[in-house]
Amino acid sequence: MIFRERGPSVDWNFLGTAVVLALIGVLLVYSATYYGEPSLSTAKKQMLWVAIGIALMVAVMVVDYHVLFDIAPILYGIGIILLLYLMVFGRLTANVRSWIHIGGFQFQPSEFMKIFTALMVARFFDSNDRAYLDMRSFLMVMGIITLPVAMIIIQPDFGTAASFFPLYAVAMFFGGIRARVWIAMILLVAIALPVGWFAFLKPYQKERVMIFLNPERDPLGSGYQVTQAKIAIGSGGINGKGFRHGTQAKLEFLPARHTDFIFAVLGEEWGFIGVIIVLGLYLFLVIQALNFAKQARDRGGTFLIICLIAFIIFHVLINVSMQIGILPTTGIPLPLISYGGSSTMMFFIAIGLILNVDMRRFVNA
Amino acid sequence: MRVYRDDQKFLTFRINAVLWGIVAAFVFLAGSFWFVQGVQAEKYRGLSEANALREIEIPPKRGLIMDRKGKILADNQPSYMLQVDRVVMKPLLKADKQRREKLEAFLSQILQMPLPELHARWDKGAAKVNFTQPFVIAEDLSMAQVASIQAQSIAFPEVNVVPEQRRNYPYGTMAAHVLGFIGEVNDKDLKANPELEQGELIGKRGVELMYDQYLRGRGGAEYWEYDADGRRLSEYVPARKQPVPGDNVYLTLDFELQRRAEQYFIENEMVGAAVALDPRNGEVLAMVSSPAYNPNVYSKRFTPEVYKTITSNPFKIELNRAIQGLYSPGSVFKVVMSMAGLSEGVVGPDTSFGCGGSGHFFGRRFRCWKKEGHGGVDVERALKVSCDIYFYTIGGRLGVDKINEYARKLTFGEISHIDLDGERAGLVPSTKWRTENPVKTSRGADPKWYPAETISVAIGQGPLIVTPLQVANMTAAVANGGKVFKPHVVKYINRVQQDGKYKLFRVPSRVLDEIQLSPPALAAVRRGLWQVVNDQGGTGSNARVEGLNVAGKTGSVQVIAYSGWIKATSLPFKFRDHAWFASFAPADKPEIVVVVFVEHGGAGGADAAPLAKLMYEAWFRDKIAGARLDLRNPETLEQIKEGELPLPTTR
Repeated sequence: MIFRERGPSVDWNFLGTAVVLALIGVLLVYSATYYGEPSLSTAKKQMLWVAIGIALMVAVMVVDYHVLFDIAPILYGIGIILLLYLMVFGRLTANVRSWIHIGGFQFQPSEFMKIFTALMVARFFDSNDRAYLDMRSFLMVMGIITLPVAMIIIQPDFGTAASFFPLYAVAMFFGGIRARVWIAMILLVAIALPVGWFAFLKPYQKERVMIFLNPERDPLGSGYQVTQAKIAIGSGGINGKGFRHGTQAKLEFLPARHTDFIFAVLGEEWGFIGVIIVLGLYLFLVIQALNFAKQARDRGGTFLIICLIAFIIFHVLINVSMQIGILPTTGIPLPLISYGGSSTMMFFIAIGLILNVDMRRFVNA
Repeated sequence: MRVYRDDQKFLTFRINAVLWGIVAAFVFLAGSFWFVQGVQAEKYRGLSEANALREIEIPPKRGLIMDRKGKILADNQPSYMLQVDRVVMKPLLKADKQRREKLEAFLSQILQMPLPELHARWDKGAAKVNFTQPFVIAEDLSMAQVASIQAQSIAFPEVNVVPEQRRNYPYGTMAAHVLGFIGEVNDKDLKANPELEQGELIGKRGVELMYDQYLRGRGGAEYWEYDADGRRLSEYVPARKQPVPGDNVYLTLDFELQRRAEQYFIENEMVGAAVALDPRNGEVLAMVSSPAYNPNVYSKRFTPEVYKTITSNPFKIELNRAIQGLYSPGSVFKVVMSMAGLSEGVVGPDTSFGCGGSGHFFGRRFRCWKKEGHGGVDVERALKVSCDIYFYTIGGRLGVDKINEYARKLTFGEISHIDLDGERAGLVPSTKWRTENPVKTSRGADPKWYPAETISVAIGQGPLIVTPLQVANMTAAVANGGKVFKPHVVKYINRVQQDGKYKLFRVPSRVLDEIQLSPPALAAVRRGLWQVVNDQGGTGSNARVEGLNVAGKTGSVQVIAYSGWIKATSLPFKFRDHAWFASFAPADKPEIVVVVFVEHGGAGGADAAPLAKLMYEAWFRDKIAGARLDLRNPETLEQIKEGELPLPTTR
């Protein structure tokens, strides 16, 4: 070990990449809404979200993540209370009770719950250093993740619930599970699914599950969206049609073009070159974060980074895949780029926490 | 059971495994995008240009306009327009470069339109709307034209005959200035309202303009699938957006009253205006401006040529004389003078002056209209016989600024904010106004107001100019005891909601101003106005209605200055006086105000008052049952034209 006198240092390349992605997002939101909205209010709002996100990122960098581990149960508890509140008082927006309205603004507690749950999972592994999870630990960590997921399924927001999947994957893959537990779990899911389906879900909830699994069931939604997104991306070619010159977006053929399908706007206007640049930036974030994970000071830090970057990887892969129909359409935004306050803030907080762990990798820092 | 401790090496191994998995996933994604954007780009570019799914707009149905009782004054009629679809045409044009010329020749023949005009319409229409939207090249097709075009639909698939709802005004020129007309949006409209889209038809004048946001409704859309050759395949029904029809608008106008007034102007070939108000709430019961245009002619897409005829008409038919025509009020202004004189105390209700046919004021001799003079006159008699000398005297005592103060209180000199476009304010002079607008003389600008000028203003002449609506507002204030209402032509707006139920939005009555008039002064003026119509020798006896107490004031306005006393009818038409009649009824409990103005009509009593009488008879039909004019009788109309007073026929 080399002992050097040095304070916490920020990895500026990592931070800069995240900010560049967010700025590309603002440009794309501007372009996507350019024709519909002379007032540019959506792009201006996204700029505000990015500014708030950067502020939040800096804020979470300041506090040592061990302190956050200490208060994680409180944050987790607050998140659960907010989700409970939605179950009771939630207003239906697009058939989903996932928004809390405060004044003129609205936010999705489920987005922040992702961070709180990740903190709880990392905290759990901080004090658990076994190569394989025993049954009690396994049930505990599954319980931590499943409680909010179950509450989000009730909303019913399957897209967001599904985005908790990376936490399960991290817990099982990095936590370590023996073969017999794998088998037991598969059996359990095989039994739970039909029971849940027939015993608990209401018809409209079933319908949403069916749509999630088979987008063609929703005539207004997915099939049409993917077709239009593919036309937009394909017609962009190698060089793209140029900033603000995407005809698909302009003609309003492309739905959700500033949120879930913003990558299609990128593909149409900036072409294959733009797609590669943005994918490259994401890949850089991922590789860098995983390097941080390896260098982290303790097990909790490693798990925190893995949990958070898993979210980002999951969102990027799912969102980009659905643009050209590799995966079915779900309401999963593109990290840092899609329009939206809650998700922009959530991902900046995630970036901030990753940097937080990296900054404090030296024991004497 | 043994517990294995996890070590950093093991964790690093798992992280590296995941890392390579992710790199592989990114490479796979990049490859997939390469396939779509590199390999298949051409295919998708084609689809993008053909726009596999196209949005075709469905225009909303414009709301109806009705009179206060629901009689329809503006509706929509099914008609056919011709559209050219460039998306369909594009591949055909590739195959045949001369296609447009051929199509134009074909259409020119069927529409019987010169080729250059058709060509110009094409260029203009194509420039207006997005490439994916078909543009309109002709409208109002006859059934024969529709048939001829349909017969060639296989040869020319890019031409569509599309049904639409055309604005229709079933009574032609009736209430045209109130209704206004519609037309295609222009760049100015688009700038003012970003909601609008090119090619849309919107209100351009009158109620159609002022209440456009209610009448217009909201457009819907259909989504049609097209193949790469531009052929329409099928509609994507789930995406269809139904248009929302516009709200229906009920006017305050009364159909019968309006028609009676308009007929009078038409039958007598008169130029002028008439306004009927409800003095209790400011509702406009009739508003006539003659001559009127036919809004059916203007409510079209292709109107620039016709539009010129409206603005170049020598009688200025586009002018709504009731709110835009500026005229000297003449003797009608004596009502304002009486109110001012009595309220200010420069005269009392019993003060009388002697009139000898002329008098000296501020060193100049002013004539009364009656050469012989009126003898002794108090305020009642002065109004009744319209004695000029009496009002010269009051004017001289008040001065121009006091006159200005009262005229402004009684709505002159500023707009009354009626819910119609283009209302004008007129002008009430004052010393301040003269300072700001000095008279240009050969010796330079003269900013001084001379007292002698006040004498002209006292009888409603000089720089003073007003609109017929302002005279009606003033008369209403006298009738209701001092309340100045904001006049309005729309009574309520009727919205058909999604559940099929109606929702009414009433246009509220608003009091703009309440002026203090001393009760004795008001009473004296009202008595005078009653005498004008009902007393022996009153100037407005032509407005007398059996069984109804009408009160009013006549006015005649010199159009040119002439010296001495001249018989008006001996002058050529364009030099004849303008005729005014401002009135209300019943005199004791006024329900309606009628103001009539006839350009070059001659004398107010002879030419303007008879129409007021007709309008009262129409309005109080039930009250004065048994005594009415038979307007369908040509003899009666002939009599009115001659300036005689036909006796009501008794039933």
